[in-house]
Amino acid sequence: MRLLARYNRVTLVTTVVVMLITGFIYYVAINLILIRDVDKDLEVEENEVLAYAKQNDRLPQVFESNDQQISFYRATPETVRRHFLDTLYKVTPNPAHRRHHHNGERYESGRGLITSVSAAGQFYKVLIVKSTVETEDLVQIIFFITIGVILLLLLTLFLINRLLLNRLWQPFHTLLKELRIFNVADNKDIPRIETSIDEFKELNHAVTSMSSRVKNDYKDLKTFTENASHELLTPIAVINSKLDSLLQTGDFSQRQSKLLNDLYGSVSRLTRLNQSMLLLVKIENRLVEDRQTVNLKTAIEELIIQFEEIFHDKELIVECRLTDKGLHTSPYLFDILLNNLVGNAIRHNCLGGNIVILLDKEKLTIKNTGDKNPLQSEHIFTRFHKSSGSDGSGLGLTISKQICENLGFKLSYLFEDIYHTFIVIF
Amino acid sequence: MKILIIEDEQGLRESIEEYFSEAGNICESVSSYQDAIARVNLYRYDCIILDITLPGGSGIDILKNLKERNHTDGVLIISAKNSLDDKLEGLDLGADDYLVKPFHLSELRARVSAIIRRKSFSGNNLLQFNELSIDLLAKAVKVNDHQVKLTRKEYALLLYFIANKGKVVSKNAIAEHLWGDGIDMANNFDFIYSHIKNLRKKLLEAGSHDYIQASYGMGYKFTDQ
Repeated sequence: MRLLARYNRVTLVTTVVVMLITGFIYYVAINLILIRDVDKDLEVEENEVLAYAKQNDRLPQVFESNDQQISFYRATPETVRRHFLDTLYKVTPNPAHRRHHHNGERYESGRGLITSVSAAGQFYKVLIVKSTVETEDLVQIIFFITIGVILLLLLTLFLINRLLLNRLWQPFHTLLKELRIFNVADNKDIPRIETSIDEFKELNHAVTSMSSRVKNDYKDLKTFTENASHELLTPIAVINSKLDSLLQTGDFSQRQSKLLNDLYGSVSRLTRLNQSMLLLVKIENRLVEDRQTVNLKTAIEELIIQFEEIFHDKELIVECRLTDKGLHTSPYLFDILLNNLVGNAIRHNCLGGNIVILLDKEKLTIKNTGDKNPLQSEHIFTRFHKSSGSDGSGLGLTISKQICENLGFKLSYLFEDIYHTFIVIF
Repeated sequence: MKILIIEDEQGLRESIEEYFSEAGNICESVSSYQDAIARVNLYRYDCIILDITLPGGSGIDILKNLKERNHTDGVLIISAKNSLDDKLEGLDLGADDYLVKPFHLSELRARVSAIIRRKSFSGNNLLQFNELSIDLLAKAVKVNDHQVKLTRKEYALLLYFIANKGKVVSKNAIAEHLWGDGIDMANNFDFIYSHIKNLRKKLLEAGSHDYIQASYGMGYKFTDQ
């Protein structure tokens, strides 16, 4: 969720809730005030009736007035308790009443006062009712005004967000774009952005200093990689050349030959391990940028010719179904990827096994027979994870995975039927 | 042939010098940038084996120096920096080849031989070894005017052997030369044996002497002695 959307949601919900609560308080307060007003009117009327009855010892004549009715009922003394009540106000059809034009009698909400009076020796219950339609109209108006204010406020907030906030966040988006295209390998620095907002200034400052720090670290790392390579490979080169020289000295016993062979094997393994580690560092630091159009079909066919004797040596049956596919990618890295995956398919195969290589427009699939059990797919891509008895470096799949990440491919493993299957999705 | 080795690592320098020293070869070596500059400005060589990382300077600068003075010495860079940039820069500057450490001496020798062949046989692409003659352009091999049909790998193998004649070449070195880095997934190097057997058979059938000798189960030796 975007910050703006989140912020909008919170402010809008708060605004609406506050406005609704305010509306409710308005409603209650105004209702109370108006009812007290009506009650006062009713008491005035009561006083008039009582005064009239006291003076004249008879009931006053009842007449219809606007929104007010008085009725008298005979009653036994002491049964009437004086109180106010919400009741209905009966409207008799009268052209003077504009409000309701229906036929027959109608009821409006009203407020009544029950009291008692004695006149001519008779005890009466008096009901005075006033219509409260006007009050309700007022409440309705308040309600609409509240709604109106809410809508107006929402609109204002929306416009402010739309216009002002987008502009305020502009430096942030600029910075984000710069960060996305940031590449430690090139020399371009993150530019200073023009803004008067302190937070963004701070962010910009932090990002700029971070990028230069990262670039320095990267440079150090590259230097370290090269130094490490030099320091480690030079002694290995010496061992290698000394072995070659030793070989020229002639006359070895069977036992010495065996020892020399083992030495050769170990030195070449050491070499490969070292080179794999350096390659991995190099790829992880994205030091290889040599993209060009590569014909994958040709690359695979060349590799198969290259490995022909090795296939033959292990009596492997290789099945290829390749479609023409060109890809803009690094030929150097793709070659390593291919070499690693096909190499694994050979190395972990059984004598007389199968290798299937499928290439179509979307993906490259390399399947091989071998161990009957599936590999643990969560571990195989981690460094130095090796199947028992493997004489590989344990870095092959890590390198493959990293290459796929660099080139924007997806590498996955699955086990179907008897085949260990590696799929590279372009 | 006259060869200069510019390499600061004593062990490696001595091994290379020893491997290249034989009758008819002049092999000199220096270990620092200053010595190297002094030497290459005084004498000419068929091939200079050049290390990049040297005390006192970079091998790249020696290469630049050579090219600025229009010297045509063959240059083979040997470097532990397996970095693509270095390799491309070296080759762009006019180096003839680039070999990453560690390498087999036989591989180095084969590369140096190839460079010298390219430099000195201009117009003449024939390589002669006793009754064997190899047309390097047509990649055709003849024994006393008898054409021998070799596969690509057998041809490469023969060139490799001739470049390293008289030396024991290990099976590892042969395998890496013919198959590159991919070789490590093979069970053993027995399949090399079949290539060598075929090459030997074809040469013998065409009337050549038997030059290929197995050596203590570790490698092979191509020799006319």
